[in-house]
Amino acid sequence: MPRPGAVIEVDRNTPPVLFHFGEGMRLERLPLGSRIVYPPDPLDPIAHPERAIKRALAKPLEDDPLKSLLRSGMKLTIAFDDLSLPLPPMAAPDVRQLVMEEVIDMAAEAGVEDLHIIAALGLHRRMTEDEIRHIVGERIFSTFWPDRLYQHDGEDPENNVYIGKTSEGEDVTLHRRAAESDLVVYVNLTLVPMDGGHKSMATGLASYRGIRAHHNVKTLLASRSYMNPPDSALHHSCMRQGQLIEDTVRVFHIETTVNNHAFPAIANFMQKRETDWTAQDQAMFLGMKQMTDLAPPAFKRNIFHAMRAPYGLTSVHAGQVDAVHDKTLEAVRAQLSVRVEGQTDIVTIGVPYLGPYNVNAPMNPVLVVCMGIGYLFNFYRNKPVLRKGGVLILTHPCRYEFDAVQHPSYIDFYDEVLADTTDPLEIEKKYELRFAEDPWFRQLYRKSHAYHGAHPFYAWYWAAHGMEHAGDIIIVGGDRDVVHRLGFKCATTLDDAFEMAEQTVGRYPSVTHMRMPPILLADVEA
Amino acid sequence: MTWYSGEGGAVRLAGTVRGFVDDVSQVRRAWHWDTPRPRTWPERGAVVPAPASDLGWARQEPVRSLRYLIQHALLIPFTEVMAHPKVEGREWVRELERPVIFAANHSSHADTSLILHALTDRARDRTVVAAAADYWFKRPMLGNLVSLFLNTFPFSRTGGAQAQLHSSSVLLKSGWNLVLFPEGSRSPDGRIQEFKPGVGHLANETGTPVVPVHIRGAYQIMPRGQKLPLPGPARVRIGMPMAPELKEGSREFTARVEKAVRALAAEPRQTGIQGTWIERWRAGKPREPKYQG
Repeated sequence: MPRPGAVIEVDRNTPPVLFHFGEGMRLERLPLGSRIVYPPDPLDPIAHPERAIKRALAKPLEDDPLKSLLRSGMKLTIAFDDLSLPLPPMAAPDVRQLVMEEVIDMAAEAGVEDLHIIAALGLHRRMTEDEIRHIVGERIFSTFWPDRLYQHDGEDPENNVYIGKTSEGEDVTLHRRAAESDLVVYVNLTLVPMDGGHKSMATGLASYRGIRAHHNVKTLLASRSYMNPPDSALHHSCMRQGQLIEDTVRVFHIETTVNNHAFPAIANFMQKRETDWTAQDQAMFLGMKQMTDLAPPAFKRNIFHAMRAPYGLTSVHAGQVDAVHDKTLEAVRAQLSVRVEGQTDIVTIGVPYLGPYNVNAPMNPVLVVCMGIGYLFNFYRNKPVLRKGGVLILTHPCRYEFDAVQHPSYIDFYDEVLADTTDPLEIEKKYELRFAEDPWFRQLYRKSHAYHGAHPFYAWYWAAHGMEHAGDIIIVGGDRDVVHRLGFKCATTLDDAFEMAEQTVGRYPSVTHMRMPPILLADVEA
Repeated sequence: MTWYSGEGGAVRLAGTVRGFVDDVSQVRRAWHWDTPRPRTWPERGAVVPAPASDLGWARQEPVRSLRYLIQHALLIPFTEVMAHPKVEGREWVRELERPVIFAANHSSHADTSLILHALTDRARDRTVVAAAADYWFKRPMLGNLVSLFLNTFPFSRTGGAQAQLHSSSVLLKSGWNLVLFPEGSRSPDGRIQEFKPGVGHLANETGTPVVPVHIRGAYQIMPRGQKLPLPGPARVRIGMPMAPELKEGSREFTARVEKAVRALAAEPRQTGIQGTWIERWRAGKPREPKYQG
């Protein structure tokens, strides 16, 4: 039986704790009495994933078995989540591949000749062929690529159709092929509670017009938090859009969850609590620490980005979107939830090398904000671990480092927009539309491997709630100029950061360290 | 006979030695190997290679394991770096239940590496490549080395069709796939030349399916006459296996294979030749292990 998550109070015997530091790591001693929140151990994976998938397709929730929905002469579309999930990428075979192979087997048996497979990218970058092959597997790739397996293009005027408006006036658009299909099978992988459900179709196969309806500062500020859909205005908006999509096209939803076994054997010490480290883990840490301290960034990046996570499938459900998603959220919470008592004055988080938007690229400063304040800070239910007005301390080198292929609009966002203001509302009003409609960014999004021109704005808005909630944000070890450009404070060491934090939260503050990744979801009680 | 009679013994020995020395000096003076061949002389005759061995050693252990290592350490990474080939239709050759003949267009020495790169490990391990006997096996050392790397066997282009047919069919019957370039030699300009009927004969005689293969980009990588390859993109498109129809002649079947290879060169996917997605999906189904007892 895997251990649940734990909250450990630091005493004299507590070993130093690991802080992720971009493509590096640090061991830090926390003040006595601080709390360290550890994620639960990985749940036991399903022993026979193929059988579980077959069972889910044969006995779906509130829907007919998939086999009975397939017939010769129909137009079938399979859509699947892109490489932003899971993180790090899953060791082959990816669960999406296993699910899609079952669905395609059924379609072949039923004689469905008109079958297309679409990578539901939303406004994310186009994947490379190798990245797609890794997700779907060699058999699907060689059978369908490139004419029947392709990527969604949110800026293609021909292939996006306007469906209508929700009761709240949100525009809804959909990929033409999906909208004109007799059946859309959506294959999802849910890593955190934010993913899946109606959000999959409503963002993955939508155009900029549909996505901006909920990816805006007003909606994101009203989301408490994104990781708890019932309290998230973002998810309410997606549900309204999703219901309109369901009225337009028949959708059969398949959702999978994986455990949090995020690191391969070579980095096993990252997976373990420091109190459990053996001499071998200590040696591995020392070796990797020396390597990350000495090696040039590009070399380190290649090593880190080559890591594949040995995730195990923990649940698979199929059928009607809402019924499926409820079960999925239960499974995700069973893996991630940790009970945490009360809020705290200071929260510390180590920001790792990888976020959803920098697979095979460096994490640029805007993405550091998105990851640290947008995602990691938001891993809570009920209320944040950090009290209102508290200090959030992140560790990351925060270098001026951008991938010109993947993040061209991020470069301009950093140089031009952040030089003017860091206020999300002002940024949205003054700049978003110009970037979104920039013909060069649009061209790079459509034909190269670049994120959409509006994407850096969304990354910034994602952090709006955290920035508003925290009284101060300090980045330890960051490049001073870069951190100041982001609008935060910079500290050299963690002790300095605590010293600086005392000016905001007073002497003898309470401190909580969120030991992520592997990720956890703090269930904060009053 | 006494020793001083002058008809034997030491005198005869001396005579023999002298005769040998004369012969050597005559030959040495008569042929000038280090001078250019006079223009007035007729062309040198075609080299007729000694009857080549079937290079059976190259298809046995431990040479097969050694070749596996060489290909994975050198050939495949090198091909990947030079051409990063895109392979379409690999599903047709992933799980071959019986031997096939790969019939491909031929415009470059890079063709063989590209085809081998496109195959799965299992298929590659059971594939021999027909290499022109009068080109590759003129120098035995080179021929043996190429066989070690690529598992080639000598294929005569200059007659002896029946014997050739026999040796190829033996290979097919013993479970080896065969890579053939039915054009006979590399295209001088990159365009597909007329196919020679050998491939049809072989398929008809042995009842072996033919897999049409089209290679694009190899000519740019290493055209005829170029010594070293240049990096460039390549695409290998593999079609659905074709079998001769009842009462279809070898020449007709060869023409059909040629048409298929030419059609594969066309841009959109050719459903008739590459198969519908359902056919391709079924072809790519992993072989299920069979347990006995």
